[in-house]
Amino acid sequence: MNRLIPFFTIIVALVLQVAIVPYIAIGGVMPNALLLSAVTIALVKGPRAGMLAGFAAGLLFDLLGTAPIGPGALVFCLVGFIAGSIQENTFAEGWLVPLIVVFFASLTAEVGYVLVLAVLGESGVTLLGVLGRALPAALYNSLLALLVYPWVARFLRREKPMTTFRRLA
Amino acid sequence: MRISQREKTGGDGWILALLLVVAFILITIYFREGATGPLHTARRGVQAVLAPVGHAGYAVTAPVRTVGAWVGDLGVSRSDLEALRRQNEEMRQRLAALEEARQENERLRELVGFVEARELEALGARVIGSPPTLWEGVITIDRGTEEGVAVGMPVLAAQGLIGQIVEAGPHSSRVRLITDQRSGVAAMLQATRSEGVVNGSIEGDLTLDYVSRETTLTVGDVVLTSGMGGVYPKGLLIGEVSDVQINDADLFPRIQVRPSAALVGLEEVVVLVGAPVDSGETGGGE
Repeated sequence: MNRLIPFFTIIVALVLQVAIVPYIAIGGVMPNALLLSAVTIALVKGPRAGMLAGFAAGLLFDLLGTAPIGPGALVFCLVGFIAGSIQENTFAEGWLVPLIVVFFASLTAEVGYVLVLAVLGESGVTLLGVLGRALPAALYNSLLALLVYPWVARFLRREKPMTTFRRLA
Repeated sequence: MRISQREKTGGDGWILALLLVVAFILITIYFREGATGPLHTARRGVQAVLAPVGHAGYAVTAPVRTVGAWVGDLGVSRSDLEALRRQNEEMRQRLAALEEARQENERLRELVGFVEARELEALGARVIGSPPTLWEGVITIDRGTEEGVAVGMPVLAAQGLIGQIVEAGPHSSRVRLITDQRSGVAAMLQATRSEGVVNGSIEGDLTLDYVSRETTLTVGDVVLTSGMGGVYPKGLLIGEVSDVQINDADLFPRIQVRPSAALVGLEEVVVLVGAPVDSGETGGGE
């Protein structure tokens, strides 16, 4: 059962991405629930689960859009692995670690995704344009992580009940 | 303090490499297969399944959007505020349901009038989904192939062109907005008849490209579809020129266009089912 929990987490993130996220956009900037779920899984379960979750979440992200299928899986998979590795090799604890990891993971994933699309022939991509949207989106994801990370992490770590945010991180 | 588990993750590199190879294979397959290939079919399946979810989300988040619109309106001028207050007093006299029906009726009449004036064959549709990701300028409507919608058909709002059908399921379709970075519309300036291409961008801005430097350009010039390429009928309103920059080093002037249709918060649109159909996914007219 515990092995299925990350799978359910990603499915819930998919539903939220379609049903809720477009309507909580601020100034055209919206969070990325699928990426947030993958990074949370990476932070809780480690790099292996992180890359598998990243691949699955990225593939669903690709299927939601109209761009080529594959770049999301590629980038989210790498980001999931790196986020899991950072968490595994970081001795610091507290709420700041997931917040910072989610911020940089979001920034890397969003910019990386558009760069891969640009390499594949996407037109109209400018560095300022990408950063102008990716930076606020990463910030939005971090703020959202502050709200949802403790609950999602608790859900993912059912075998090791945690009671505080500090211990969760 | 956490002990590093690096020794446990020795095989992770291989799994990562395998997943990356799979991702590259997916990208290759996507570009090599046709519109009926497995990946395109899977995408259509996922979108058909998720269209009702998006529709449900649209209904569930209505109060949030109302509050958002209210917050957005806080910046209106005093005269606007007074006018709105008076209007609000009038509105309170009516029942909410009747008011909703009246507004919807007006919007549809406007749409019908717009279409009839141009003798276009059109199909009305409701918007049931907003762009699902940061990088997509795509909305979902509640009409699909069963109702006669096909990929490539132009989509309009009462104020003018908003985009083109890029995915058509049985009972829902996806519309790429003209502001999307993958959109390109053959266009012309109404005053000078100079032709160019209106392109979207990643920031959601519109530019009119490839217009001759010799053309006289004025802020406020109306931009229409030119009909070149046969995708969009000639003469549909796209927007107006909002900024012009002519640099010595550039081959063409840099022209910013303000779209005439409000592309955020759309509720009803019409699909020009009588228009010639371009089966390609990219915006027509290029």
